[in-house]
Amino acid sequence: MITFETVTKRYPDGTVAVDALDLAIPDGKIMVLVGPSGCGKTTSLRMINRLVEPTAGRVLLDGENVADVDPSRLRRGIGYVIQQTGLFPHRTVEDNIATVPLLNGWNKRRARDRAHELMDLVGLEQATMARRYPHQLSGGQQQRVGVARALAADPPVLLMDEPFSAVDPIVRAALQDELIRLQAELHKTVVLVTHDVEEAIKVGDLVAVFRPGGHLAQVDTPERLLGAPVDDYVRDFVGFDRGIRRLSFFPAAGLDLDTDTVLPATTTIADAIAAAKQAGQTWLLVVDAAGRPLGWAAAADLESAPAGAALAAVELASVGHTFRPDADSLRAALDATILSRTERAVAVDDHGQVIGTTSYERLRDAIRAAEDAADRRTGDRSADRPRQAAGGAR
Amino acid sequence: MQWSWIPQNWTIIWPYTLDNALLGLVPPLIGLLISVPVGIACVAKRWLYPPVLSLASAIYALPSLALFVVLIAYTGLGNLTVIIPLTLFSLCVLIPNVVDGLRSVSEPVRQAATAMGFTQLRRLVQVELPLAVPVIIAGLRVAVVSSISLASLGQLIGVSSFGYFFIDGLQRDFPTEIYVGLALTILLALICDLILVGSRALLTPWARGRRIAPSPLTPGPPPAVR
Repeated sequence: MITFETVTKRYPDGTVAVDALDLAIPDGKIMVLVGPSGCGKTTSLRMINRLVEPTAGRVLLDGENVADVDPSRLRRGIGYVIQQTGLFPHRTVEDNIATVPLLNGWNKRRARDRAHELMDLVGLEQATMARRYPHQLSGGQQQRVGVARALAADPPVLLMDEPFSAVDPIVRAALQDELIRLQAELHKTVVLVTHDVEEAIKVGDLVAVFRPGGHLAQVDTPERLLGAPVDDYVRDFVGFDRGIRRLSFFPAAGLDLDTDTVLPATTTIADAIAAAKQAGQTWLLVVDAAGRPLGWAAAADLESAPAGAALAAVELASVGHTFRPDADSLRAALDATILSRTERAVAVDDHGQVIGTTSYERLRDAIRAAEDAADRRTGDRSADRPRQAAGGAR
Repeated sequence: MQWSWIPQNWTIIWPYTLDNALLGLVPPLIGLLISVPVGIACVAKRWLYPPVLSLASAIYALPSLALFVVLIAYTGLGNLTVIIPLTLFSLCVLIPNVVDGLRSVSEPVRQAATAMGFTQLRRLVQVELPLAVPVIIAGLRVAVVSSISLASLGQLIGVSSFGYFFIDGLQRDFPTEIYVGLALTILLALICDLILVGSRALLTPWARGRRIAPSPLTPGPPPAVR
């Protein structure tokens, strides 16, 4: 647990970078500090590992004031990743990663073995990369080395200052996914600074939105931030399509699926017409013997086909995107529906077998139910949410 | 030009070459030992750098012969009387290069080192100085070449160097000896320079194939005018 207690940073010229910040960062979560430049988010981050000393207030790490800990010892227990990577140009990849273990007095061999483990962890190929120097790597690879180096001594806390801002969008998305995957494995207490609210919402368990002048505007889960911004500043900051983006946080598992319009390819046309009529549907999903989707049959087309033939004989419209109720969000289900010519999307399980189909009407009901449930949680918020998550501006 | 003079006088050419090499190499190396701590201090305390730089330039402006004459009273007619002025002259090149070398370490690298728990001293020894090596060696190359050339002046007070060939050749009106002295000076300078370039490659394998920022060398006035 990292706790800021009315922490202020005032520079000699009078600039106040951080103003009476109260914030608690729970263990094992990714807390994202987000805000425009000059809002004090980076200064706040650097006060955790004492690269910046507060003018007033205290920063506690597991209850201990960091100001009371020897800075070098404190920092060896806190991983640090920055935008420009800060890799040592004169050390090979493996030696860069081994830095903190070596500082902690490990022998070279053990430190290098550890470095190789971390290269595997962050997806860097040992055989080709270990002996290279940083300038021989791409930007994305350098950032992976930076993350590996920060994790080498297995610190419980990881600080990341705009870690993915300098790489192109595709690499950035890959690195963000990587961070989420690593965190699921490692459960570090991560504090990540970014100016990119999309990134904050994607990787954060909790997001602290800063206002210019070093004030906190809102600390909340990404879903709550999108669903219930506290004021116009946060509303503007999180962006205009927050309603759609919020759907990312509602699992598609709650969706009611149509199953009576899913028919095997061996079904006769006559039976298919009967099924469509009974369900009152204009489209039927045709599946193969293994239950995998083949395509959509339009009920209107069936009338002109010979009644005794099998469904396999009619022309089918493309299945398009499918979604997995067990893994995807309502946003993915909605997206698949929008993209489908039939205004229906196909839900599959992890083997690709059809579970059912969905439509706008069913999505609308599911979205409404999920929003109501989330808003009901908001009502109980003061009672059952930890105080620190509520945070607040002063 | 009498080519036959060279093999005939090999026995005097070789010892003078060794003596001149000694006078060319020892002062820059002592200068380096002085410049590293001074440069570190100048980077740590920014206000220190301008006066130190002015002092080094002022020393460089002193005529070497005048320094020899003053020093004879304390150190006699030995090597030391030449080594001390040449060491002082080398500071004018070496201190700025140590400072520039240390400053060439990028802020993110410095910050990352601090954030990983390097103490200041450890950061200096393990990160900043190794990264400053290419720029420091660039300064050392200038200092060594200029020292090798200046060393011949030692002959004026009887300290053996290539200066012998110039004085002797002039007195005997024998140009061959002067040409040989000139050629040897250039040859020695080139060899020492090559050794330094080679040692830089050995010391900084990481810099190979990497563009280093051009070193903002601060060479003094050309040594030849002295």
